[in-house]
Amino acid sequence: MGEIVLKTENLSKSFSSGGALQHVLKNISLELYQGDFTVIMGASGAGKSTLLYALSGMDTPSLGKIAFGEQVISDFNQDELALFRRRHCGFVFQQIYLIDGMSVMDNVLAAGLLVNKDKKAVVRKAEELFDAVGISEEIRKKFPAQISGGEAQRAGIVRGLMNSPEILFADEPTGALNSKTGFDVLNVLSKFNEQGQSVVMVTHDMRSARRGNRILYLKDGVILGECDLGRYVHEDQARQEKLAGFLAEMGW
Amino acid sequence: MMKESLLLVHSNLRKAKGQMVSIAVLVLLSSLMLNLWLMLSTDYKQNFERVHTRLHAGHVTLAVDDNSNEMRDFLTEMNKKDSRMEEISLTPAMHMVSSFSYNGGEIHSEFVFLEKDTAFGRPVGRAEMVEDSSYTSGIYLPVLYKSEDIDVGKEVEMLVGSRKISYIVCGFFNSVMAGSHNCSICEAVLTEDKYQELEESGCAPEAALCAVRLKDKSESEDYEAMLKNAVSERYPHVRMVSNSYALVSQSRYISQMVCSGLLSAMAFFVLLIALVVIASNIIHYIGENMKNLGALKAIGYRSRQLTGALLLQFAGAAVTAALAGAGLSYCLFPSLNEMMVSQTGIPYPVRFLPLPFLVSVGILGGSVSAVVCVSSRRLKRIEPVTAFRQGVQTHNFRRNRVPLAETRVSLIPALALKTALSNVKHNAIICITMLVLSLFVVFSGLMTENMIVNMEPFIKLIVGETADSCMNVNGKKEEEFLREMNLDSRVEKIYLYHQTEVRHVDGISLMATVCDDFTKVNNQEGVFEGRFPKYDNEIAVAAKYAGEQNLKAGDEITVTADGKEAAYIITGFTQTSNNLGKDCLLTREGYERMGELQNASYYLNLEEGVDVDEFHREMKNRFGSEMNTVVNVGAAVAGGVSVYMRLMKAIVAAVLLLSALIITFVLYLLVRTMLGNRRRDYGILKALGFTTGQLILQTAFYFMPAVVISTITGIVLCSFIINPLTGLFLRGIGIVKCTFTVPVSFAAAGGAGLIVFAFAAACLMSLQIRRITPKTLLF
Repeated sequence: MGEIVLKTENLSKSFSSGGALQHVLKNISLELYQGDFTVIMGASGAGKSTLLYALSGMDTPSLGKIAFGEQVISDFNQDELALFRRRHCGFVFQQIYLIDGMSVMDNVLAAGLLVNKDKKAVVRKAEELFDAVGISEEIRKKFPAQISGGEAQRAGIVRGLMNSPEILFADEPTGALNSKTGFDVLNVLSKFNEQGQSVVMVTHDMRSARRGNRILYLKDGVILGECDLGRYVHEDQARQEKLAGFLAEMGW
Repeated sequence: MMKESLLLVHSNLRKAKGQMVSIAVLVLLSSLMLNLWLMLSTDYKQNFERVHTRLHAGHVTLAVDDNSNEMRDFLTEMNKKDSRMEEISLTPAMHMVSSFSYNGGEIHSEFVFLEKDTAFGRPVGRAEMVEDSSYTSGIYLPVLYKSEDIDVGKEVEMLVGSRKISYIVCGFFNSVMAGSHNCSICEAVLTEDKYQELEESGCAPEAALCAVRLKDKSESEDYEAMLKNAVSERYPHVRMVSNSYALVSQSRYISQMVCSGLLSAMAFFVLLIALVVIASNIIHYIGENMKNLGALKAIGYRSRQLTGALLLQFAGAAVTAALAGAGLSYCLFPSLNEMMVSQTGIPYPVRFLPLPFLVSVGILGGSVSAVVCVSSRRLKRIEPVTAFRQGVQTHNFRRNRVPLAETRVSLIPALALKTALSNVKHNAIICITMLVLSLFVVFSGLMTENMIVNMEPFIKLIVGETADSCMNVNGKKEEEFLREMNLDSRVEKIYLYHQTEVRHVDGISLMATVCDDFTKVNNQEGVFEGRFPKYDNEIAVAAKYAGEQNLKAGDEITVTADGKEAAYIITGFTQTSNNLGKDCLLTREGYERMGELQNASYYLNLEEGVDVDEFHREMKNRFGSEMNTVVNVGAAVAGGVSVYMRLMKAIVAAVLLLSALIITFVLYLLVRTMLGNRRRDYGILKALGFTTGQLILQTAFYFMPAVVISTITGIVLCSFIINPLTGLFLRGIGIVKCTFTVPVSFAAAGGAGLIVFAFAAACLMSLQIRRITPKTLLF
C-alpha cells in the first residue's frame, strides 16, 4: 500500500431539491493511496460522481474535511481550488469535454501551459503522451468534431496527464464509447497506472471496474464495502469472479 | 399560427432576456434621438412660421434713419406700386447701434427703439408680450436676453450710440423678425417716458420702421434688395438697416439646425448598431439552434411560423422600445428646448407631436422587421435532416489560426485571440460599434478643442474677422481719425473693415466687406480658396452663394450699390456664418467704383494691456458725434458665442454619455451571448484549473483585437474626415470647408479611453463567469 494522497473525514454533501434537503454523500471517511487504481462503483444515484467531484476539488462538500497532504482543500475558495486542480489533479470525463473550438493538440496544451510556461517542454511532453496513447500527428491537428470518440477520449486522457497529476480522476471514461474503443481507453489507463499514476475512476461497468486494484462500493451516499482485487495484469477468471462475488454481496 | 409563434417567442425570450433588454435599450436610444430630431426639424422650425403668422409679422423689415413725411410717402409709394407687396406698416422709431452686457460678454446690434403701445400694436410685425410687470418706466427686451443678470426689476445699462443709459427691465417680448441680434435688426421697447427721454437726448436718430408682408415669402430677399436699392438711389446718404424672412428664418435657427443634424446622425448610427446586433443575434440563433429548428420543422412547423416568431420577438421588442424612447424624448425635450430658445429667442410650447412619434416608431419597427426578415432567410432552407447534421458539423473544417504550440503570445491572450479570430460576427459588431464611437469621440474632441477650450478656430470660422476694437466714424472725419490712430502708440494695427450691402445683378443682395488692404486682416483664412481681392476689379464671394449660382474663380459678376453697377472678377471664396453664406469682399477702391462710403468702420488691434473700454471712452470724447459706434469686439464675440459654448458643452456631455451607454450595452450583449454559448467550455477550463480571473481576462481580451484595431482605425480615419463631415452640418449657415483644429492628443486620449472603457466593461460584464463552476459539467 502506497502513501496516502488524499483523505476524507466525515465527508457529506447535500442538495436542496424542491425545498427538501437531499443527502447525497453521508459521512464518508476514506483514504486514497499513491499508485492505486481505485474504482468507485454503485448504482445510478448512489453518489459516485458527486464523490469524485468532491474529491477532485471540483465541488465543495457540505460538511466534513478533504485533505491533500497537509492541505485541507475543503477549506479552499474557488480560485484556490482551481490552482489545486491544475497542479495536482487530472480529469477524464464521460462526455470527454474537449473544447470544440480548439485542435486536439491545443486542448492538451491549454492545460499544460497553465502550469508550465516552458512551451517547448510542454509540447514535448504532449507529444510523448500522444505517442503513448497512439494519437497520430495528423489527429493532433484536427478538431474534436473531426475525430472518433475513442481518439477523443485518449486525447482527454493525455490532457488529464499533462501536468503529471498526483491523481487522475476518471468519471465513466468509457460510458460514451463502444466496447472496442472503451477497451483501448481502459488499456491506456491501466498502462499509466502500471507506471505509478494514481487513478480514481467512477464506473458502473464491471468490465471497467476489473482494471482497479481497489473497489469501493457506494450505496445511498455511504461506502457500503471495499474489495481488494490486487494489481491488474490481464483479464482472468479469478479476478472476474472475485469482483462479481463482492458486487453480489453489496446487492449489485 | 399565432399561438405557436407566441410559444416560440416565449421560449426564446426566456433564454435571451438580457440580450433582448440590450437590444431594446439601443432601439430606445435611437428612437429617443430620432424623435427629437424629427420634432426639431419639423415642428420646431414650423414654430417660427406659426409665430410669424400669429404676430402678422413682415417678410421684409427696413429701418431708415429718416422719419420725415417725405420718406414715409416715398416708402409707402414704393411698396404700393410693387405687386408682390400684400401689406405694409410704417412705424415711427429710433435707430442706433447699441450694446449691453449679456452672458459675460456684450450684445452689440442695430437696435430699433419703439414706444410700448406702438410696438405691441403695429399692424404688421407687432411684438408679443411674454413677461410683463408693474414697472411703468423702463425697457422691454427680447425674451432671448432674459438671464440671471437681465431680469424684471433689474437694471440694464445700454450704450446707445455714444451714450450710456440705464433702464429698469419692465419685461420681455417676442418679436419674430427683430427679436435677436442674429436678425440684423433688434427691437427694444421703451415705456412712453423713456422713449421721449431718448428722443430728446438726440443720441438715436428718428427712423421709419417699415414692415412689409409679401404675397410670396420666397421673394423676401429680392424684395429687400429692391427696397434698399430704391431708397439708396433716392436718398444716398441715409443710413438704413434691413432684414428678410429668408435670412431671419435661418439665422435664428442655427443651433436648432446643428443640433438636429447631430441628433439625426447619432440616431441613425445607433440604429445601425442595433440592426447589426439584431442581424448577428438571429444568424447566431439559427446556427446554434439548428437542431431544435430542424426538430420543430420535423414536427410540422413552417418556415413562416419560425420567421414569424423571430419577427414577433424582435419587432415586438423594437416597437415597444421605440414607443418608450419616443415617449422618453418628451422628458428631455423641455431641457433641449430651453437650450434652443436661448439661441432662437422664440418661445416654443412643448406639446405632443403625433407625426414624428409615429414616424420614429415606424422607422425603427420597419427597419428592425426588414433586418429580421433578411437575416432569417436561412430558416427557409432548413431541412429537418440537414439541420440535425449541420448541428454536428458546425465545428468541422475550420482553420487553427493560433496554434498554441507555435504562437509567441502567452496562454490567456492566445486563447482569447483564438476565439476572437473564429468569431467574425462578433468582430463585425465590435468594429461597427467602435468605428461609430470613434467618430463620436473625435467629434467631441473637435468641439471641446475648438469651442470650449480654445474658441479661436470656432470664432475664426463662424464670426470671421475679430480684432480688439471696431470704430465707425463719419466720412468727413475719417482722415483726421486715421491720422490720430496712426500716431497713437496704443494702436498696433488699424484697417478699414466696413460692412455694407451690395446686390449681385443676377442674384440677391450680398453683405459686402470693404477693406483697404486685406493683407492686414487678422483672419487670413477668411478666403479659404483662391485669394483676397487686391485690385479694384476683384471680388471674393461666399462659397455657399457661389455654389448656388454656379460661380467659379475667374468668373466676372456685376454688382450694384448706390444705384451704380460695376463688374468684378472672382478671386476666391469666403465662408462665414454672419450672413449665412451671402457675402462678398471688395477692396475700397473696388467698392468706390459704385459708391462712396458715408461712414467707415475700422478694426483696430491694440497693444497688449490697453483697456479697450477706456480707449473707446477717450475716442468718444475726442470725436464726439462724429464717432458713430465703438465696439469692444472681444466682449461682443464672447456674448454671442456663449450660447454656442453652452450648447456644445451639453452636446459633448450627451455624446460621451451616449458612447458609454452604447459600448456597455453592446458588450453586455456580446458577453452574454458568448457566456451562453461557451458555458460548457468555461466549465471545462475551470475543471482544468483556470481561475475565474483568468477566464474573465480571457473573455475581455477576446474583444480587444477588434476593439483596438477598429478604435485606432476609427480615430485615425475620423480625424481626417471630421472636418468635411462637420462642414456638412454647417453648410446651411454658409460654412463650406471646416478648418477646425483636429485635437490629435484628445482623439488619441479618447481612443485610449474607449479601449480602456471597453476592456473594463468587458471585465465587469464577464463577472458572471464566477457563477460557472466545473460541476456545471456534472448536471
